[in-house]
Formats: sequence, C-alpha cells, structure tokens
Amino acid sequence: MLTGLLARALQMSTPLMIGALAEVYAQRTGVMIIAIEGIFLMGAWGGFVGAYLSGSLLAGFALAMAVGTLSALVYATLTIKLKQHQIVTGTAFNIFAAGVALYLYRVLFGVPLLPLTVDPLPSLAIPLLSEIPVIGKALFDQNILTYLTFLLLPAGYWVLFRSRVGLIIRSTGENPEAVDAAGISVEKVRFLTTLFAGALDGLAGAFYSLGFLGMYTNDIIGGRGWIAFAICFLGNWNPLGALLGALVFGLADATAIVLQTSGVKLIPNEFLIAIPYILTIVATMARKHFNVPTKLGTPYIKERK
Amino acid sequence: MLLWPLFSVACGLAASGLMMMLLGKNPLAVYGTLFGYAFRDLYNVADIFAKAAPLILTGLAFGFAFRSTLFNIGGQGQFYLGCVGAASCALAFGNLPAFLLLPLCLGASILAGGAWGAFVGFAKARFQANEFLVSMMSTYVAIAVMNFLLRGPLKESKGEYPQTDVIAESGWIPTMIPHTRLHWGFVIALAAAVLAYIVLWRTSLGFRIRAVGMNRDAARYAGVDEKRIFIVVFFLSGGFAGLAGFMEVNGIQHMLVQGFNPMLGAEGIGIAILGNAHPLGIVLSALLFGALKVGGTLVVQTSAIPASIIGIMEGFVMVFVLLSYALQDKLAVRRKKRDIQSRKEGDSQ
Repeated sequence: MLTGLLARALQMSTPLMIGALAEVYAQRTGVMIIAIEGIFLMGAWGGFVGAYLSGSLLAGFALAMAVGTLSALVYATLTIKLKQHQIVTGTAFNIFAAGVALYLYRVLFGVPLLPLTVDPLPSLAIPLLSEIPVIGKALFDQNILTYLTFLLLPAGYWVLFRSRVGLIIRSTGENPEAVDAAGISVEKVRFLTTLFAGALDGLAGAFYSLGFLGMYTNDIIGGRGWIAFAICFLGNWNPLGALLGALVFGLADATAIVLQTSGVKLIPNEFLIAIPYILTIVATMARKHFNVPTKLGTPYIKERK
Repeated sequence: MLLWPLFSVACGLAASGLMMMLLGKNPLAVYGTLFGYAFRDLYNVADIFAKAAPLILTGLAFGFAFRSTLFNIGGQGQFYLGCVGAASCALAFGNLPAFLLLPLCLGASILAGGAWGAFVGFAKARFQANEFLVSMMSTYVAIAVMNFLLRGPLKESKGEYPQTDVIAESGWIPTMIPHTRLHWGFVIALAAAVLAYIVLWRTSLGFRIRAVGMNRDAARYAGVDEKRIFIVVFFLSGGFAGLAGFMEVNGIQHMLVQGFNPMLGAEGIGIAILGNAHPLGIVLSALLFGALKVGGTLVVQTSAIPASIIGIMEGFVMVFVLLSYALQDKLAVRRKKRDIQSRKEGDSQ
C-alpha cells in the first residue's frame, strides 16, 4: 500500500510541478497567469483530441502545447499589450475556456453513447532500479513525462538563477526600467515567457487526459490549475520550492484517492477530497516571508519622452 | 454610458455566432429563436427576472469587493453555503408560519454566506493571506461541506439521492405574478443592489471602502483601519452570495440538490465586469444574462446546440468588455494629445 501511495503521489504531482514551474517563470517577469485553470482545461482537451484523432499520444501532447500557447497568446495580448487587469482577464478567460472546450468537444464528436477513450501514457519500468523494494516500484516505474519533469525542475532552477536569460527574466519582474535601459524590451520578455508558460500549462493539462485517465471530461481539472498557481506562491517563486510543494500536494491527493479506494473510513470522503484545498488555505495563511516579485501584476508603461 | 457595454455585447454575440456556424447552424436563426422565445409571453419574461435575481446577488458579491480592489472569487462557495443555511432552516423549522420562517431562512442564508466570506477577509487581515487564492480554494471546501451534508444529515428521507426533502410550503417565497416563477425574491435582490449603492456612496463606511480601493497607502495614512474593512467587505460580499442561495432554494427549487447551478459564482463575476462593478450596471447585466439563459434553454433543446454555448456567449462578452476598456483608454490618450496640441497652437497665434 505504501508503494502504491508513493507511486500515485509522484504521478499526481507531475502536472502540478509543470504548471507551478510555468507560473514561477511567468510571475518572475511580473505576469500572473490567472488563466492557468482555463489553459489546463484547454490542454486536457487538446491532448485528448490530438491523441484520439491521430492515434498517437505524441501528437496529443503536441496539440496540447499548441493550444496552451494559443491560449497564453490571448491572455498575453489582453494583459501585456492592452494592459488589462490580470485577475479580471484571467477570470474571464477561465469562464470562456470552460465553455469553449466543452463546445468544441461536442462539435468534433457529437454526443457519443459511450465515453471516448485512448490508451493512457504507459509506465516505463527502469531495469534494476525498479526492483528496489518499496521505493523502487514507486520511483522508477513511472511514465516518461514524470521522469522528464523531475529533470525539468532542476534545469528550470539552473536557467533561472545561473544563466543570462534567467537574469533578464528575474530583472523584468523586479526592475523593468533597468531592463528597458539595457535595451531589452520588457513587453517582449513578458510575452515570450508567458507563451512558454502557456505551452507548459497545456502539457500539464494534457497529463490529466492522457497521463491518468485516457479520456476527457468536463470537470477533469477540478481546481488543480489553482493548486499549481498556489504552489508557485508557496514555493516562493523558486523551481525547487515548486518541486517540494507539488510533492506535498501530490501526496495529499494520492492519500485521498488511496484511502477512498481502500475502503478505510477515517473521515468522510468529501473531506478527503477537500484536503489539498484546505492545505492551500492553511499554507497561504502560515507563510510569513514571501519574495514576491516587486512588479507582480503591474503592467509596464514605458515613459514617453 | 450604455454605448460601450452594448458594443461589447454585440461583438460577443457576433463571435458566438461564428462558433454556432461550426455546427452548421445559422446564427441569425438561432438568435431569432433565442430572443423570440425569451420575450414570447408573460411567463418567459417573468422567468428572465426570476433568473436574474440570484445573478444580481453573485454579481454584487464580486462587484462590492472589487470596489475596494479586493478579489472575491469565492462567490460560488458562499452561494452554496447560503443554500445550506436556508435549506437547513426551512427543514428544521418547517412548522413555523411563513412570516417567521421566511425571514429566518433569509437571515440564515446571509449569515452562512457572510461568515464563509468573512473568513477570507479575516485570513487577509490577520495573516496577510492572498484573498484571491483563499477565496478560490474556499469554494472547493464549501462544495465538500455541502456534499457531506447532503449525503448525511440533510439527505432526503427516502435516502436515494444526495438532495434534501422538499421544504415546507410556508418556506416558499410567494410568487409575484400568478402562474409564473417570478417570486418576491427579485424585489429583495433589487433592494440588495440599492443597499449596496447606499452603503458604497452614501455612508462613511462606503467612503472608507472606496478609499482603500483607490489608494491603500493614502487611506491608511488618513486613519482608515483597512483590516476591519477587509473583514466587513468580505462579510457583506459573502452575504450577497449567500442570499442568492435563499432565492434559489426558497424561491425556485424548494429543495437543495447536490451540485446545482455550478456556474452562478463565475457568471456573477462576468456580470460585475460587464456592469462596471456598479449596482445599477450589475442589475442591467443580470437581466441580459437572464434573457440569454431563458432563451438559451429552448435553443439548446430544439436545435442540437450544446448548453455550453451560453457559457461561450458570456465568455466572449467579457473578453470584448476588456477589449473595449483598452480601446477607451487609447481613445482617451489620443483625445488628451489632441487637446494639448490645439492648446499649443492657440498659444502661438
């Protein structure tokens, strides 16, 4: 049971990590992607549609990233170019995405009698390592995306704190005037980072339709986008913090699922399901010292001479 | 003043029309059916007002907090808790006469929604927690609470579905126009909008709320206790959303069913944005959304267009509202430039 729990926790934390990393990058430039819940949903939709129509999971993930980028383009145009309020714009986008994803599913597939399915991403057992008792099966019998994500986060850390690109990204959220003075366009940095984050969010969303379920449903994301958003805050805008946060939430999610299916009745199911959300509220209240990027949420308006 | 919102609505409907063409439907015919049905007879027109009543309230829930730049995204959860409050009161005190039971349910819905909201304000005031995140998450917790109650303590006596029994008839809000679903709750919703207006623009509390919204530092310097403002604003905000629960349970459904009306909170946000977070604007926008809902149900039933088209219409309208704000900003800048230019020319002559 412990092995199953750990394996499940790692699996559940994968999309949260990808989403939180995307959010860390965007927020470091000053852009909160409030549209994350909607982009996750569009990604889940794109992933399923691509995989179902082409019969290839790879095509599914590619379409999910394309749809995610496109969604981020809409959001970025409204917030960065047209300087609309990020929270208001994001909320509007989320409502819009909920309608559009469901509608386009219907346009493509009509009303199928049985739910449409694809084979979800298979797990790849790494030889030898996966034979280690208890943790072996949990850590080294995951699907390829989970392995890649665990490489992605340290890489994301390195780029953000050790490379020139990372310096530009961090400065854009802290001191955009200086970035501007150095001859780099603040809007361009924000735009490109947001598009990149959108692609990652689309990928994370597709994990829900292609990584676990092999199908698309209306409430497939169910607030997981918001949790990724929260992990970015709680992880202090640091990829490694996001890694840690996502693991905690993955474990909470997995505990709920495992306890539910095992029939152990400690507390009512409804409250098990609520654990990640309660945890977010508690963590948001408990966290004292944040390194909030100074310009988070503020549009950059260039001085006109 | 009405021109820009109307422009956004027209653009939103046009864009949704393009989506309908994807299914091979003629948008003009669809809209003809939609508005034709919504305004066909007294019953349907009355239904627009009945549908608008809870929308006004969730619109106020977002809009009221928005006036002090606080983000109450948790309207849905506060609404559900309001439903729970109203329904459990109606079930527990079903033998009371209407003149006692109705105010009791009304009060319970406001208190339950308000308390759920006030918690968000408290978390912000006491722990500097991000109210956007906390209110968002609190909705999922509220759903858990409601589902738990509906599967346990509040479950119907037959014990089949996660829903309550039908509440006693003395707890039904009386209808305003006979043989329609329009009940006096609509008047209460209007009164709430008027109250929101009076509180915001005619009281010193409202002045402080708006001061915090306009410039938090200046307000603090002027001696406004912003922590208290957070809690009060979130209590009132949640109270509006909770009151919507009273409308739906006691006015329309006469029972509480698991997971019903899941978009009401989000629609409230849309309505508040379209109505510029002003109570009057919110009432007008809620009536528009009400008409879309009433007409939309027929379109969905008769022309094989999925129900999500209503969500798409709402989403497009909101996106075009934002675009129109950006456009208005641009026009204002251009006008200012032209003014300066003409003044300069005037000087040189």
